[in-house]
Amino acid sequence: MKLESYKFIFVAVGLIGVLLIASPAIAGAIHLPGGDAFSELYLLGPGQMAENYPSNIAVGANYSVYVNVGNHLGSSVYYVVYVKLANATDQLPNTSLGTPSPLLPLYEYRFSLPDGASQQSLVSFSVSSGAIQGSNSQISTLQINSQAFNVEKSAVWNSNSSKFAYQLFFELWLYNETTGSLEFNDRYVSLQLNLTRTQ
Amino acid sequence: MRSKQLSAKRKLLSITLVAILVLSLCLMVVSSAAAQTDQAASKLAAANLAVGQAFNGVLGAEKAGANVTGLLVQLNVAEGFLAQAENSYRTGDSSAAAAQADSVLPVAQQITAAAQNAKQAAVASARNGFWETIAFTAVGLAAFVIALLFAWSRVRRNYIKNLLKAKPEVVNR
Repeated sequence: MKLESYKFIFVAVGLIGVLLIASPAIAGAIHLPGGDAFSELYLLGPGQMAENYPSNIAVGANYSVYVNVGNHLGSSVYYVVYVKLANATDQLPNTSLGTPSPLLPLYEYRFSLPDGASQQSLVSFSVSSGAIQGSNSQISTLQINSQAFNVEKSAVWNSNSSKFAYQLFFELWLYNETTGSLEFNDRYVSLQLNLTRTQ
Repeated sequence: MRSKQLSAKRKLLSITLVAILVLSLCLMVVSSAAAQTDQAASKLAAANLAVGQAFNGVLGAEKAGANVTGLLVQLNVAEGFLAQAENSYRTGDSSAAAAQADSVLPVAQQITAAAQNAKQAAVASARNGFWETIAFTAVGLAAFVIALLFAWSRVRRNYIKNLLKAKPEVVNR
């Protein structure tokens, strides 16, 4: 073996060694880009499975769902979930425009999640006061997590779907630390409800 | 005739006085309710601001490398109080909303202060860690390069020695 070959081996070993020894310092200086940043929002039924979602509801009966939020945004996030009730004519959030529903929230809950964590929240609700008269129905009071909210929401009988259609939906908002305000995260999940009977 | 007129005037006067009294009472009740609602709204705004600042503090501490698990637990308590206050306000219970909004402030302020301390500690620790890493890297690199040069000089010397040994010699016969 020639001396040049030995030299080449020493230079290669030297470079690899320098890289290995300096790797902690290099890792501290270089920040690799992370993966896709997003928040997840989904609903589970009362058995914490994607089944048995409440649909046909009666006045006075209790129903529950689990609302799940997951944080994959790379840092801790302050979330707000707004619960709103709509009838067939009310405007829902527009996910293509990124605008929330103009309806006022009935109920809300707030929490902060570290990156990679998720939170499951039980939301129970019942129509404590409502009426059906012919082809018209009205929900006057909706109770969410034991708090009563005056909603006065009416729906007419839809002969195509054969129901008095209401939607209970959950909008995901998050706190923007730069602007210091809450912003709609362009995500919502909804429950299609049909008021079937009153007491 | 005159006494009848006087009694009618007295009646009218007393009815007017009672009406004024009732009206002023109503105004007082309405204005007091409006004042209570305004007070609750301003307390909610202050609580929202305080929780936002607390979150910013926690986020700053997290970005500086601090462990913010405990702070997030406390923050969730403050956010829970704030959500309760907002929900009470929506149901029209302004006094409960104001009381719940008041309970947010001390928790939020405590979090903000703790987050600031955690951030300062994390920044100091990160600075120390950075210089330690630089120092260890420099010492390690120097030792490695010296060892490599030493090894290289040994290899080269041995190589030359072997080369000289292997040199063909001319023998006179």
